[in-house]
Amino acid sequence: MATVLTTCPFCTCGCGLHLQADHGHLTGSAPSEHHPVGQGKLCARGWHAHEAPTWGPRLTRPLLRRGGEPVEVSWAEAIDAVVQGLSRILADGDPIGVLGSARATNEENFLAVKLARGALRTGNVDFCLRAGLQPLIDGVAEVTGDPWPPGRLLDLERSEFILLFEGDLAETHPRAASLVAAAVKRGARLVTVGWHQTQMSRLAARHLPVDPGAGHQVIPGLLAAVLDGGSADGAGAVAADPGLAALRAGLAGLAVGEPVREVAAWYASAARASIVVGEGALLPDEARDGAAALAMLAAVTGHLGRAGSAILILPSRGNQRGALEVGVRPDALPGGVPLDDAAVIAKLRRTWSREPSVVAGLDAEAMVAGCRGLVVVAEELPAVLRAGGGGLDALASASFVVVLDSFATATARAAHAVLPVAAFGETDGTTTSLDGRVQRVRECASPPGLARPGWQVLAELVTRFGLPCTYGSIGDLHREMTDLVPLFGEIGEGQLDESWGALVSRPATGPGVHLRTVDLGRRDPVEGPCVAVFDEAFDWGSDPSVAHAPTLCRDHVARRKLFPTGFVEMNRADADRLGVRPGWAVRLTSKHGEVTVPVVVSGEVAPGMARLPFSARDRVGVVLGGRGRAGVRVERA
Amino acid sequence: MRPANDVQGRDPGASRLLVKSDLVSWIRRLMDDAEVIAPAAGAGGDLMFGPVTDPASVWLGPGNPLQPPKQFVLPQTDPIVRIERNGGGVQVSSISDERARVIFGMRSCDARGMAYLRRMQATDLPDDSYLRRADRIAVVTLACTTPCTLGFCVCCDAGPFARDGHDVQLVDLGDRFLAEGATERGRAMVADAPFRPATQGDVVRRDELEREAERHFGDESAHLGAAMRRISTRRVAEELWEAMSPWCFECGGCNFICPTCYCFSVKDRCQDHGWERCRTWDSCQYSAFTLEASGHNPRERRKERIKRRFFHKVSAQYYQRDGAVGCVGCGRCVQTCLGTTDMPAVVAAIRKGVWHG
Ligand code: SF4
Ligand code: SF4
Repeated sequence: MATVLTTCPFCTCGCGLHLQADHGHLTGSAPSEHHPVGQGKLCARGWHAHEAPTWGPRLTRPLLRRGGEPVEVSWAEAIDAVVQGLSRILADGDPIGVLGSARATNEENFLAVKLARGALRTGNVDFCLRAGLQPLIDGVAEVTGDPWPPGRLLDLERSEFILLFEGDLAETHPRAASLVAAAVKRGARLVTVGWHQTQMSRLAARHLPVDPGAGHQVIPGLLAAVLDGGSADGAGAVAADPGLAALRAGLAGLAVGEPVREVAAWYASAARASIVVGEGALLPDEARDGAAALAMLAAVTGHLGRAGSAILILPSRGNQRGALEVGVRPDALPGGVPLDDAAVIAKLRRTWSREPSVVAGLDAEAMVAGCRGLVVVAEELPAVLRAGGGGLDALASASFVVVLDSFATATARAAHAVLPVAAFGETDGTTTSLDGRVQRVRECASPPGLARPGWQVLAELVTRFGLPCTYGSIGDLHREMTDLVPLFGEIGEGQLDESWGALVSRPATGPGVHLRTVDLGRRDPVEGPCVAVFDEAFDWGSDPSVAHAPTLCRDHVARRKLFPTGFVEMNRADADRLGVRPGWAVRLTSKHGEVTVPVVVSGEVAPGMARLPFSARDRVGVVLGGRGRAGVRVERA
Repeated sequence: MRPANDVQGRDPGASRLLVKSDLVSWIRRLMDDAEVIAPAAGAGGDLMFGPVTDPASVWLGPGNPLQPPKQFVLPQTDPIVRIERNGGGVQVSSISDERARVIFGMRSCDARGMAYLRRMQATDLPDDSYLRRADRIAVVTLACTTPCTLGFCVCCDAGPFARDGHDVQLVDLGDRFLAEGATERGRAMVADAPFRPATQGDVVRRDELEREAERHFGDESAHLGAAMRRISTRRVAEELWEAMSPWCFECGGCNFICPTCYCFSVKDRCQDHGWERCRTWDSCQYSAFTLEASGHNPRERRKERIKRRFFHKVSAQYYQRDGAVGCVGCGRCVQTCLGTTDMPAVVAAIRKGVWHG
């Protein structure tokens, strides 16, 4: 029996666990008692992390598409074909790109960047889930001047007041939810902002209801309340900010209800107060401004920069923060440094012995739609693109698609070349938690068949394009990353092994706090007797490492099996009024289109709401017209 | 609290002595015939049960690993049947694990857990696969002379000194261990040199230590009993379960680290030439635990699942069936619970009729 200490690959809380293998199979997961975040706890996903690679349909041999059919080939043949295929596109001067992933390790993602900016000389490098995260991070950064929002997960436990914008935190980030519950047990006041009843809202001292995905609706009121209520103690610190007057002016005359006023006073007067923004709380249109406004709320109340007062933006999936920070983005270099940073460019040139591409590239959606050649590292496009399954149709126009993955995904089926790589538990590397904790993931069992560690495959590809990668071990690769990714430079030699990973801190680089007017909620009002919305939480059931694992996915599977083409969740009162029972079909009609789906009755959905699964967005999305919500008429079909 | 042992009435041959300097050589001797499993400091500084490679690394100091030794009788994923394609049909064969093992340095609560599990697996329809593995395991416990931080074994009559489930119990007497053989197999393990007979004084000291250890817990044994009376006579208000329900995050940890929980699911693991049917840990706190193929779920709401868990753990009905409460007082669920609905917290709530989160 083998046991290794590793990091949970799922929700970005980054809990530590002991992974076990027996006879070459991963067989168990157990929480690490001394892990600083997990502290001997795991959620149901973490307790079944060993299932992730064990039960899915695995890719075990390199495949090349010949005559429309995938054919098993040797590694040498596969790599040759990939190099030729991509070289042809390069020679034609056609667009080419690389997609990294929140499912990949920092090392794999770094090499994806090296493949793009170094080997293929393109700025087209991105990962699909960045689209949801970046605006939130940028919104806060714009106000604070720091590239990453302040605070750590453990700050929650000691907070006296927590303002939680949901989603459904207990489902998406269980460890964060558990720390919030621990704080409430200690006497902290919790306020939830959301559009439906959740586990956390039941623990809350107050729930501020908003329209679906419209967490931003309460933010101007909170700001106005602290600014006129005189509870903006920190206003002194920001008094000199020229934006303050503009912020005040913009909020003048805003009618603020008593509940919001009271919540604002709680926040302002708490010694340590945290703001948590979970998934699905702010729709994409309002994400950046909403996050900026929250940072301003922290700034004017003096919470910004106060120890123990955090603003936590929760990425949805695995290694999103790591992917962003090692540079899997078209608009910045490794470490998130600007594309014109001469010092970093000089280092890249020196280490890679080649002029790196420092142009701004296409983002993931544009790459999928417009690149002729695409290397996809562990992205299952229908699961992570906003277009859902539609993303694969766009891929059909690319002339050469290479997929590196552990699982036989729909994306891999659409590829011209498939390179099988090791999954979680089968390879070494690091991931970065939402806290910025860079932690080891370790090999516990060998990958199946001919599959190889992803970093080795990527290193070979990079080498074949003329950038020699002579990594004898992952340690050599770390040394290069320490040198080239500014944040990784802070990780001391051996630190990853000796302790619980390294916390990457990001010192302030900007000019300090910057205030401005907030412009929220100017979108078209939603009209209709009923509001249809997507359940925006990351759909774990669509993730290949979860979809096939029996325990990890079964809640999703139950519904997926029952309703393979989608469903709608409605309140019982609405269902009764329509005269429909669970499973009966209803027709939803909006100005965008109509869809007929079976009903699932749910106590969590408020009357007048119709929740559609994001996972079935390519089937039911027409009624929302590409937006997060729409007014609909619902009838029995 | 049970009455102090009657020193005179005990089988004098059952108590032996081992000087501490001989411990390593004894473990080494055990390793000749069996896989020896013991607590040791593992990665990340976590204490864990695992196969011993270096006897000097065996940890017999304070503390008990967060993960109980249950995994060695009931692995989290346990292949029990091999299904292979065989021409047009399939061939089915059983997979058994009958390796000789010694679990060394187990604490009394965990030994009670092993006894509880064995009783469950041996009655009604005896589980052959379980019994074949479990019966090859010898258990050497270490009596707790000082209580651990979170444990409450005295409330469950499972400690601090072992009651059942062990072959040999070691009691730390300073520079030597008193070794008590509790079974035929255990007596044989301590029969020969370097063990020698214990003196009357050693045995008296042992009993003093047991009483001291029990005193350190205070008189808490009434708590579980009071909860049992209320839960067995259905005097726990529905609202109480309702109030607890948002404080559980359905991680299943309480079941997985519980030395007495045994519920499982069945999953087929794909192999090159067929499948392996595996028994895998399951949790009664998961919403899909009782989900039926029709889609109907008799325990759809979390409060129903919490209620069910505590009814099995502490009701008189199950006490009679299982011969013991389904809690050994190890305190692990206090640490591993992702929420706040661990055993002592819920028992206190049942007893007092209020839930504070
Ligand atoms: S809370 Fe997140 S990181 Fe922790 S065990 Fe669960 S999925 Fe893994
Ligand atoms: S009671 Fe605690 S340990 Fe058990 S499932 Fe609920 S949260 Fe997890």
